[in-house]
Parts: sequence; structure tokens; C-alpha cells
Amino acid sequence: MRPVTGAVSLGLRAERGARRALGRRAEDAALATLDAVLASSLGAEAVDRVLASDLAARAVGKALEGPLVEAVARDVVRHAVLERLSHGVLDDPELDRVLATALDSPAAERLLVRVLESKLVDEAVHRLLEGEELWLVVNEIAQSPAVSEAITRQSIGFADQVAGGVRGGSRSADAWLERAARRALRRPPAGP
Amino acid sequence: MNTAYEGLVTRAIAFAVDAAIINLIAIVVGVGVGLALSILSISDTAENVLLACGAGALMVWTVSYFAIFWSTTGQTPGNRLMHIRVCDADDEAVLSPRRSLLRFGALLLAALPLFAGFLTVLVDDRRRGVHDMLAGTVVVAAEITPGG
Repeated sequence: MRPVTGAVSLGLRAERGARRALGRRAEDAALATLDAVLASSLGAEAVDRVLASDLAARAVGKALEGPLVEAVARDVVRHAVLERLSHGVLDDPELDRVLATALDSPAAERLLVRVLESKLVDEAVHRLLEGEELWLVVNEIAQSPAVSEAITRQSIGFADQVAGGVRGGSRSADAWLERAARRALRRPPAGP
Repeated sequence: MNTAYEGLVTRAIAFAVDAAIINLIAIVVGVGVGLALSILSISDTAENVLLACGAGALMVWTVSYFAIFWSTTGQTPGNRLMHIRVCDADDEAVLSPRRSLLRFGALLLAALPLFAGFLTVLVDDRRRGVHDMLAGTVVVAAEITPGG
């Protein structure tokens, strides 16, 4: 029995080796094809057509309607993405330069105008104003101690400014009235 | 130290602010009490007694307002707004409660002859009214403290 068992295991090994080699060849061929497609103008054209199609808009719409947004937001918070960005990328002066160049370009201006003129902004604002969440946030902010303190400080500052004006006016009126009274009574003016 | 004495207009504005505060609080309390009493049936005699009590309470409230502020900080809210302070004419100390009551009584006397008692503020070297002379007080510029 032993020679038969040996022959079978040898056959199985040979089969596995052949399958692995074939798989590697297929992977290499697929990657080479992908590289060729990406390098060609055909790839860029295909991406452009996909992005311009209704399918892409529908896909993005579906994704935004679903739980994807909440999941992404959760992950952004969980993995401290914003903190990492602020510490790493945002502190980079090169980013400032790139952003300044991009924002100053006419293309950015055109893009901004198109976005602002599109129905998307109106729709977004409309939906935002209709949602209860916005008003919850507004209430939360309005009731926060920082906002109350800022309003109080502003009001006190304004009242103090008005009172200062009244004080200045009343002291001038005092001086004028006393000069007039002393003149009428022929008394010498008061000292400084 | 060169003390700055305060004149008639500044003091009149401070007094007007105090009068507004006193009357506003009196009106609010009076309306509240009146509404509360309106649900009860009260005889005319009792109503007259209540009116007399109300007038007495208004007088006590007015006297207390000035006497308490003058004898604690030397500044009523109106004085605080105008940055002025009532103090002793000799050492500029805060008035005692008795002196505050005396000043209030003298203030009424000064107001009786068509406010003529206040006109001496215009010609006195220390800008004192008759009530200041009677009570031995002066009104000076208050030091400006942060937040006040």
C-alpha cells in the first residue's frame, strides 16, 4: 500500500503546485491589464463617462441616504481623523501655499459660482431648515453658557458706553450751568 | 488729594434713575397686590385702610432705599450709573444709618420750596445743596472699579 500512497500524495502536490503557478500567472496578467487600462486614455475616458452618468449620481445619492454617512462620521471620530489631520497635514506650510494657489485660481471661482447657482444648495438649505436637528443645535448653542456670557458682556459694554456718554454730557451741563449762575450772581468762577 | 465734587445735572440724573427704579418696583408690587385682592370682596372701609397701608409701605420703601444704599456703599444704583458717591463732608467716610435718614429728611425740606434748596449746588464751592449742608455730606466722583 505504501507505494500507492506515495504516488497519490506526489500527484496531489504536483496538482497544487500547478494550480498555484497558474494562479500567479493569472494575477500577473490581470494586474498588467489593469495597469495598461489605467495608463491609456481609454481609462480616463471611461472614468469620465461613469462620473457623468446618472448611475454615478444615483449611486452617490443612495450612499448619502443610507447609513454610510453616519458610519463614516462615527469612524472619523473613533479614529481621531480630524486630530491627525490637524496635527500632521494642516500644520504643513506647503498645504497653505497649495490651498492659496487653488483658491486664487479662476477655476475655483467658477466652481464656486456653479455650486452656489445649482439647485443642490437651495435643496440642501431647504432640507436643513425643515429638519428638527438644526433647531435643536441652534437651541443648544443659544443656551450655552459661552453664548449667554458673550451676550451679557456685549449688553453691559453697550450700557456702559451709553452711561459714559450721559456722564460726559451731564458734567459739561454742570459746568455750563454753574458758570451761568455765578455770572448772574456776580460771583467769581469756581476754581479748577 | 483733589476731590471732584459733583454738580446739579449729574445728581439730578442719578436721582431720576433712582426714582424710576423705586416707582417701577412699587408699581409692580402694587399691581400684584391689587390683583390678589381683587378676588376677595373687601368693604370700602377695609379698602381705605389698605390704601393707607400701601401709601405707608411706599414711604417706608422709598426712605429705606436711599438710607440703606447711602449707609452701606454710599451709592444708590443711580449714583453708581453716574459714578458718584455720597459721603461725609469731613473725612469722606460712608454715612451712618442715622445720618442717612437725616439727609433724606433734609432732602425733602430742600425740595419743598419748589426745589430751591438744590440751587445752592450751583454756587457753593463744594457743590453742596441745603440738604448736604444740614446733614454734613458731599457728593463726590466715585472711583471707577472694574465691573462697576
